Amino acid sequence: MEMTNKIKFKHQTFCERLKSMLKVDFRRMFTSSLFYIMAGVCLVVPILIVVMTTMMDGTVSVDPNTGAETVIEAFDNVWQTIGSVSGEGSAMSMDLTGMCNINLVYFFAAVFICIFISDDFRSGYAKNLFTVRANKGDYVASKTIVGFIGGAFMLIAFFLGSMLGGAISGLPFDTPAGTSGIVMCMISKIFLLAVFVSIYVLASVIGKQKLWQSLVGSLMIGMLFFMMIPMLIPLDAGMMNVLLSLVGGALFAFGLGSASNHILKKTSLV
Amino acid sequence: MNAIEIRKLTKNFGSKQALKGLDMTVPMGAIYGFIGENGSGKSTTEKIVCGLIHPSGGQIKLFGRDHTDADVRARVGVLIESPGCFPNLTVWNNMMIQAANLNIKNAEKEVQKALKMVRMEGAAGNKYKNCSLGMKQRIGIAMALLGDPILLVLDEPLNGLDADGMRIMREVLTDIIKDGKHTVVVSSHLLGELQKIATHYGIIRHGKMLCEMTADELDSSCRTYTALRAKDMNRAKSSLSLRYSRVEEDEAGYIRVYDAREPEEIVTYLYQNGVLVNEIKTDKISLEEYYIDLMNAREVR
Repeated sequence: MEMTNKIKFKHQTFCERLKSMLKVDFRRMFTSSLFYIMAGVCLVVPILIVVMTTMMDGTVSVDPNTGAETVIEAFDNVWQTIGSVSGEGSAMSMDLTGMCNINLVYFFAAVFICIFISDDFRSGYAKNLFTVRANKGDYVASKTIVGFIGGAFMLIAFFLGSMLGGAISGLPFDTPAGTSGIVMCMISKIFLLAVFVSIYVLASVIGKQKLWQSLVGSLMIGMLFFMMIPMLIPLDAGMMNVLLSLVGGALFAFGLGSASNHILKKTSLV
Repeated sequence: MNAIEIRKLTKNFGSKQALKGLDMTVPMGAIYGFIGENGSGKSTTEKIVCGLIHPSGGQIKLFGRDHTDADVRARVGVLIESPGCFPNLTVWNNMMIQAANLNIKNAEKEVQKALKMVRMEGAAGNKYKNCSLGMKQRIGIAMALLGDPILLVLDEPLNGLDADGMRIMREVLTDIIKDGKHTVVVSSHLLGELQKIATHYGIIRHGKMLCEMTADELDSSCRTYTALRAKDMNRAKSSLSLRYSRVEEDEAGYIRVYDAREPEEIVTYLYQNGVLVNEIKTDKISLEEYYIDLMNAREVR
């Protein structure tokens, strides 16, 4: 405590400030409908994908102009919605099973984080927030953590949705990856979220109240990294994949977090 | 110790210079009425004080410390332009979020207390977007009061408030400065209302401080005038215009004579000119009139 003409100014440590900022963001996340809508989307989308592709399995569509035939193929097993076993062609492919899987969550997370952050600026809450928070690092750290946890919830929701979809459509649950591989794969995917979240946080603090700018920026930069997810994290992931994702996530969170902090310090907040 | 000390503050927006070396001193324990035309730089100054925009140059000190000091800024309450609330959340949740932001220990109790102060405890369950303009303004004030701020920066807080709201606002602000440790900066175009509460004034124009004064100094600076009603108002006005340099008819239908020494002198003079005076009184010009006079005088220069 320091006295200035009888006024006491309490010094808050980074941990205390971060704790209160996290309280703000978690309260916001759990009291607004955005989080529940996004988690709901992540739960429903895999059910729809699995059930509809199973129903349409083998359907042939013919292009009336070229006469080319396209055969719709369903997933062979439930785990294809989570990832592909390394060495299999589909790990790299951009077909239905390569695109319509759990990696979609990284895009849903972009929508969630961009709306979440731009709401601070659009509602004018940023004025209340930054008036009492001279250190912008608290804000960036908190948004990254909350975005990460929100994204993790969404990944888990997608995982559960895939299980439900598989059970409804009667897809087999057998996989050569094994239970430990699937667990490692999910953990790696959660850690890798940190890379994407820090990109989205950066794009959002640049865009501020301009949601579309934040979204387009996030999705464009995110797309570059999106291509690498199947290669980095196969379904039969091991400890190395977990560590790589963790280190990559931590490095991106720290590096891009510093950049976000710098931008908030140097630009007008209203 | 001054709550705010600003020296040679400048702010450029591209090629436009919003603040041109502004100096401002707000003593601790004051209600500082910050007055100026639209675009004069009031909001820009307030936003810089709150750290929301960066100054191009100059020095800003809050309670003797740099305005970027995190410990001081944690004790600043703000209502700039509109309350920063999430429209889809309830008033209660918005207040609780701000309480969490301020790291308030007994958050629920403090939120209840703040809402009660602005008579908004009944609206706690309403969604913010469904509140009226006046209600939103009160919520903004309640939010600014959370966490016992030692400096309150309020930009147009009276906008949209009804008579009762304005009275509550006056009571709240005059109440919180009583201990001498709290300071309030209020900018408003409702000068009549501001005059009822302000202890100090700062008048800004084109990004520069024209003058700063205490309420007492303003009182002594405000010229006195004699206001009268006569049976024949036209004749009274033309007769007075021949003798006194400034004679005007005000909105209430009185003839004002600004440089008269004694009312008796005017009554006698008019009587000699065949005009009977029905009513006569002496008064001082209001803050609004002082401000308009000051602006007009600057315009002429």
